[in-house]
Amino acid sequence: MGELLQRLKPRWLEKRLEPADSPAAVAASVVLAVAAALAVTVVLFLAYGANPLAAFYELFHEPFGTLRGFGYTLAGAAPLSLIALGAIVCWRAGFEYLGFEGCFVLGAAASAWLALAAAPGGWLAGLPFPFFLALAIFASAAAGGIWAAATALLRVRSGGNEVLISLMANYVAIFFVQYLVSWPMRAPGSLPETAQMPRATWLPFLWHGGRAHAGILLAVAATLAVWALLKKTRLGFEMLVMGANLRAARYAGIPAGRRMVAAALIGGGLGGVAGMTELLGAQHRLMDGISGGVGFLGLIVALLARLNPLAVLPTAILYAGMSVGADAIERRTTVPTSITLILESLIVLFVLAAELLRRYRVRLPFSREATEAKEAKR
Amino acid sequence: MNTAFWVTWLAASVRLAGPVLAAAEGELVCERAGVLNVGIEGTILLGALASFLTAQATGSLTLSLVAAIAAGVLVNLFLAWMYVTVRASQVVAGLVFNVLAVGAASAIYRLALGGETAQRTIPTFPPVAIPWLSSLPIIGPVFFAQTAPLYLTLLAAAGAHVFLFRTRTGLALRAAGENPRAADAAGISVERMRYLGVLVSGAMAGMAGAYMVLAQVGFFREGMVAGQGFIALGIVIFGRWSPWKAVGAALVFGACDALQFSLQLSSGSVPPQLLLALPYLVTILAISGIFGRAGKPAALMQPYSRD
Repeated sequence: MGELLQRLKPRWLEKRLEPADSPAAVAASVVLAVAAALAVTVVLFLAYGANPLAAFYELFHEPFGTLRGFGYTLAGAAPLSLIALGAIVCWRAGFEYLGFEGCFVLGAAASAWLALAAAPGGWLAGLPFPFFLALAIFASAAAGGIWAAATALLRVRSGGNEVLISLMANYVAIFFVQYLVSWPMRAPGSLPETAQMPRATWLPFLWHGGRAHAGILLAVAATLAVWALLKKTRLGFEMLVMGANLRAARYAGIPAGRRMVAAALIGGGLGGVAGMTELLGAQHRLMDGISGGVGFLGLIVALLARLNPLAVLPTAILYAGMSVGADAIERRTTVPTSITLILESLIVLFVLAAELLRRYRVRLPFSREATEAKEAKR
Repeated sequence: MNTAFWVTWLAASVRLAGPVLAAAEGELVCERAGVLNVGIEGTILLGALASFLTAQATGSLTLSLVAAIAAGVLVNLFLAWMYVTVRASQVVAGLVFNVLAVGAASAIYRLALGGETAQRTIPTFPPVAIPWLSSLPIIGPVFFAQTAPLYLTLLAAAGAHVFLFRTRTGLALRAAGENPRAADAAGISVERMRYLGVLVSGAMAGMAGAYMVLAQVGFFREGMVAGQGFIALGIVIFGRWSPWKAVGAALVFGACDALQFSLQLSSGSVPPQLLLALPYLVTILAISGIFGRAGKPAALMQPYSRD
């Protein structure tokens, strides 16, 4: 296939020894990728008989032009950005963890257990909210963190592969939560779900009547913490070295195994807190399927943010906003919400593919270099 | 526990194991070439859609099966390009492709339906009893009174074994997955072998999707694959990258799945989730490295570049 391409390759296209990595080249390839993804979306809008301009307006007007829609956008962005930040900590330390679905549901389960204990008559009844919140953050982070650290230990101690282990471990965690809501934590009723969390344990809403909750503030705090960890601390620096070159890190005397477990504890912990914000901020009830795939969508946000913690929040807000906008489009036209899934995944795929463009350079027949090359041949 | 219980349970295990086994056999060939194709989850969904739409348009089951396989090959041509030519991270490209497939399947399905909301059903493959073999006690009704796609899947398992271990190309493909540099030096085109592996997994995943639609449920739903592609990844590991052991691994997964239904019907004492989680726990143990090397192809997930 590649050889065939080589043979078909026009003469003015020349392979570079190293991919072009100047900021301009990277920016150009990203812009091209986004433009290509948008072009595909326009075609889809046309296929559904929608006016593309009006559809794009709709896509962004509801989430960013209305207070109600913006509330939903912020509520959706909170767990997404926490998972993306967790993924960044793990991946930049060279720990390719994919188990955030598991961390998310376990964090939600841990905080549901605490919140139900805070109901009147429970052993946490009457605990002031700030103390309860601190406890819930700690418990959900511990649940997610220890879950991810178990996978890290398997990799460090016995050389297991974290990609495959974490994909399988997701199911174990999901079945465990399914068990919890169908047996020990099940509320009377026909559906396998817990009772509604006591009102006193809900994350406060940011404004009256809106759906935006304090989870987004936790995401802001986590962004600063992850940025500081990676840029300002020794632990973070050692993680980055491991991610860049594990063998070099070992030669430099970094205890790579321990650092990897630490990265898993922090990253998985953020995934657990994401589950807590969804439960106490949005759903207020633990049920099967509470994650709705957010453990994987958060990874896409991390990739779109190019694993840069400071870019996570804007990306997550844009992503969550497009989902809210897509719901609005679906209500008004025949265009289905899945259009945002297509747009967002195409952007990531095209950005990855644009990497290929940077491995080539265009040399036009009459450009200076080409003429010089001809002269040299003579 | 009488014979009837065992026969019903085992036959249900085989029935449930069928589609994931088909996907797993293709994935196995692909992983032997050194590529972890996580995108089979999305490919199964697109294969299911292709077979459903073709069945609706033509009414031919064979044509629908062929359409699903063709769709699987086509989308995996793109995935192979991402994995092999672009040399993108296999895990990232595969996972993002799965999200794309969910979006695309839903968009195409609605476009084809044109606003109709009623659930359309299509005819399905009837069970075919194989003469003589199907009259054997226990084994007969369990294995030899199944539908045509299951027989095809078992043939594919045999084919995968013969291809990987009895042909030159199979040897070259395995070399590309174990030590691509050495394979390259020996004159094997690592690129070509890996494209081949990904396309085989695409064809089989497309077939798995058709299997679900044409022999299990008879309709299409957007959430119908629900992680079965990931189960296939588990089966490949649990079966230690061997086509025959994968058949056994798929049966274990299918048996736990089938037992769940019987338990739910008979009593409420054993939580079925425990059983459902069991095969995943065993798979985790198999890949954990605690019990020695699992037989993972040495260059799995590593993009190969000559320079």
